[in-house]
Amino acid sequence: MKNFLITLGVVVAACAAAFGGFYALGDDRAMHAAAREGDAMAWLRVEFRLDERQFGAIKQLHDDYSIACGKHCADIMAARARKAPAAEVAALEKICVDSMTGHFRRVAALMPPAQGERYLAMVLPRIAGYAHHGAPNVRVTP
Amino acid sequence: MNATTMGSTPTPDSLSRTLASWRLAAPRDPQFRAAVWQRIGESAAAQPWAVYARRHAIAVSGALTLAVAVGAVGGHGWARAQVAAESARLAAAYVQGLDARAMPMP
Repeated sequence: MKNFLITLGVVVAACAAAFGGFYALGDDRAMHAAAREGDAMAWLRVEFRLDERQFGAIKQLHDDYSIACGKHCADIMAARARKAPAAEVAALEKICVDSMTGHFRRVAALMPPAQGERYLAMVLPRIAGYAHHGAPNVRVTP
Repeated sequence: MNATTMGSTPTPDSLSRTLASWRLAAPRDPQFRAAVWQRIGESAAAQPWAVYARRHAIAVSGALTLAVAVGAVGGHGWARAQVAAESARLAAAYVQGLDARAMPMP
């Protein structure tokens, strides 16, 4: 019985050691750090294995796009604030979506081809999946 | 059957009769079986684990292999699932950060 219990202990220890070892192998500390800090750009760099040059170019693209994004944002918010017709808000949102889609495609073009495809597969459905008439529209208040 | 005819040595016939009438009246030990099993158990428990493992080599190595495989698959899967969940959360935040539609009203 004693030897059986020792065997059981050895088996459990081997299982735990394998779990720990393979957890460490499959883990991604950089991703944890990005998640801890909520740093989406760090996520982009880690997730798509960007080198310095690629990351720099994409960061520049993002910085440039943030100006256009800010304008779209202001237009949409102004339209919602003055209770603009739904068609006008929808048109502004379409401009935003088209602009965002173009931006994401430009970002993907700066990545290695396989990573670019993966990037688009990850981000484009999130644009399409946005609830156009969901919470933000409901919050239109004077 | 050959006869032995030396001195007072019983003849084969009398020996046979003696043997036939011989009854052994050994007292029964009700604990005999239990004592045997206890000795077997004690001798098994007393052996070092290395000897025990060698005697059960197939079972022990099979259990170890299974444990390592389960641990490896579990550990790797758990780590990847955590990374994937974080990545999905950051991807959502990334897209939302660039989506003017998602900007809350001030």
